[in-house]
Amino acid sequence: MVLEFKNIEKSFGEKKVLTGVSFKAEGGKAFGLLGRNGAGKTTSIRILMNVFPANNGEVLIDGQPIDYDKIGIGYLPEERGLYPKKKIIEQLKYFAELKGMGSKDAVKSIDYWLERLEMTEYRNKRLDTLSKGNQQKIQLITALAHDPDIVILDEPFSGLDPVNAMLLKDVVKEQISKGKIVLFSSHQMSYIEEFCDSIAILNNGTVALQGDLRDIKRDYPRDRLIVRTENPDAVLAEFGSACTATDNGALIIQLASADEKKSVMTHIIENYDIDEVKVFEPSLNDIFVQYTGDAAKEG
Amino acid sequence: MQQFCKILKFELKNYFKNKIFVGVTVFLVVLIAVVMFFPRIIATDTGDTQDDSANLSVMLVKTDDVTQADMVQKTFAAFFTEYDVQTTTMDVDEIKDKILSSEAECAFVMTSPTAYTYYVNNLSMYDTNTQVANEVLQQIYQVSAMINAGMTAEQATDVMNIQISSEVQNLGKNQIENFFYTYIMIFALYMVILLYGQMVATNVATEKSSRAMEVLITSAKPTSMMFGKVIASCLAGLIQLVAVFGSALVFYNINKSYWDDNEIIDSLFNIPPELLGYMLLFFVLGFLIYAFMFGAVGSTASKLEDINTSVMPITLMFVIGFVVVMTSMGSGNVDNTLVKVCSYIPFTSPMAMFTRIAMSTVPCYEIVISVAVLIGSAVGIGVLSAKIYRVGVLLYGTPPKITAVIKAVWKA
Repeated sequence: MVLEFKNIEKSFGEKKVLTGVSFKAEGGKAFGLLGRNGAGKTTSIRILMNVFPANNGEVLIDGQPIDYDKIGIGYLPEERGLYPKKKIIEQLKYFAELKGMGSKDAVKSIDYWLERLEMTEYRNKRLDTLSKGNQQKIQLITALAHDPDIVILDEPFSGLDPVNAMLLKDVVKEQISKGKIVLFSSHQMSYIEEFCDSIAILNNGTVALQGDLRDIKRDYPRDRLIVRTENPDAVLAEFGSACTATDNGALIIQLASADEKKSVMTHIIENYDIDEVKVFEPSLNDIFVQYTGDAAKEG
Repeated sequence: MQQFCKILKFELKNYFKNKIFVGVTVFLVVLIAVVMFFPRIIATDTGDTQDDSANLSVMLVKTDDVTQADMVQKTFAAFFTEYDVQTTTMDVDEIKDKILSSEAECAFVMTSPTAYTYYVNNLSMYDTNTQVANEVLQQIYQVSAMINAGMTAEQATDVMNIQISSEVQNLGKNQIENFFYTYIMIFALYMVILLYGQMVATNVATEKSSRAMEVLITSAKPTSMMFGKVIASCLAGLIQLVAVFGSALVFYNINKSYWDDNEIIDSLFNIPPELLGYMLLFFVLGFLIYAFMFGAVGSTASKLEDINTSVMPITLMFVIGFVVVMTSMGSGNVDNTLVKVCSYIPFTSPMAMFTRIAMSTVPCYEIVISVAVLIGSAVGIGVLSAKIYRVGVLLYGTPPKITAVIKAVWKA
């Protein structure tokens, strides 16, 4: 299954929010939708979910306009919230039924997910008696209980402790392995790097960069080396202005061209006491900052 | 449609689980029970005292004219059945003492056949003894005058007690009879619409402020949401009204014999069926129009505190309609131009047209036009409010101006 955004445009009044957004996300892979605050991520998600229509362009599934009666979508919104005063099972059942599930199937599926997320003991509790992290797990069930074809997770890891984050990672991997389209939106670049095979970076309503994450990284010139050593001063002294120290103590050596890579690496290994030397690949964080402007260091 | 049913069921269940909703309904039913059983309780109470005539309070009557003393005593006794009427020859100070010591409740001291002083310890707000005494003395004076002029006592009494027979043939509506249930219906409509309208607005704003809306709006169509919520609240309102008025009817029938002579109560429970039908029709349509508007306004508020100011224009419009109708009802002329105009405007017609139908004769075509306008507006406002809802629920921050919202809806 392939989800495709084709030249999507959207304005609210005079304000243009999306101008010709196009990207493709495949089933069985996670797709990262990145962008600074206000870049148009939520608007794109809402168009995908048919909350409002686009002014122009199409959302396609396997080349056909999306049929909302057949394609199920699960959504974990960034702005979390359910009915605080209601019993968990009641509201989960309500949301599952709104998505078209029958009453019995809904309860069965919800019980499965409560068990899976270690939340069964809270089944008949009111939502506002739960901790923030647990409330988030309940919210995740609203996104997954109806077994959707497309799963949209907006900042899924925020507010989760490491154990719960691990649990969620397993769930996400499971969803991906089931062949679903998993759409991630997050500012936590480490998670995106861990899960997503391909990404799209939105900037000011347009797609600034998109494609396979490994390809994107490979496309960067491989003309920098990263070196870790006990004695950085000696290396710094030899390479002079071509060598800079990073915050975490590593050194980055800028080569004249990528062809020098092998010879310089051999030279360093032979002449210095080296812990590690490898070709420098930009992190997703670096790429994100590069494409969305210098002030975007929120990630 | 399936979504609509789910939403309707969920929202209706919320009402029945709402402690305030259940509490208010139970309170009203109990209150009505107390009111309806009141005459029965009073009757059993006074029944005991009537058996024992010694418990009647004493009324003293003192007259200087010995020839009339007997007649005065008899006539007073006939008119003041709730008193033990006794003639006395005590002087005024003794009479005062008796009253102050509560041995007697009141006293009439006659200074001439047409003048008296009334003594009483605490003059009650509802004391009509002097009016009755005036009438009695007037009658005695007239009868004795007639006897003096040569009539026999029977003839004189016959003249005084002549009965006039009359019959009223009302060709239109009886305003007195219809007034009370029209009044109650308008009042019920007013209370229920404002109460439930506010509830719908609060409900929407709560979903929005708790961010449950983020999931809802992506799970269900705005029209299903809006219609589901509003129709659920309409049903809840109707169920509450049926519970209250139904229990009133049941309690009335249990106590019917104790209410025998009360025309007002009797007219209340003898509403013509077609009027009951109109009541239901105008109630439902009026309710829908206002609930939709309240829902739309609720969707533009980000915080619960914003609602009160946002719903003000709607409430004001409704109150103006209410005042116009109530004033016209009070004046007795429900067919004045203002009410006529109001009976075609969908925001006021549920009250205005119903009042006209109940209290005067309205041509059939006028009713049809008014109802058609009302149905059209209810559907139109429903659809529009669903659109406002879709735009409104995604706007956070200061509530937008209504013109800005309509503009956004228009463009979308």
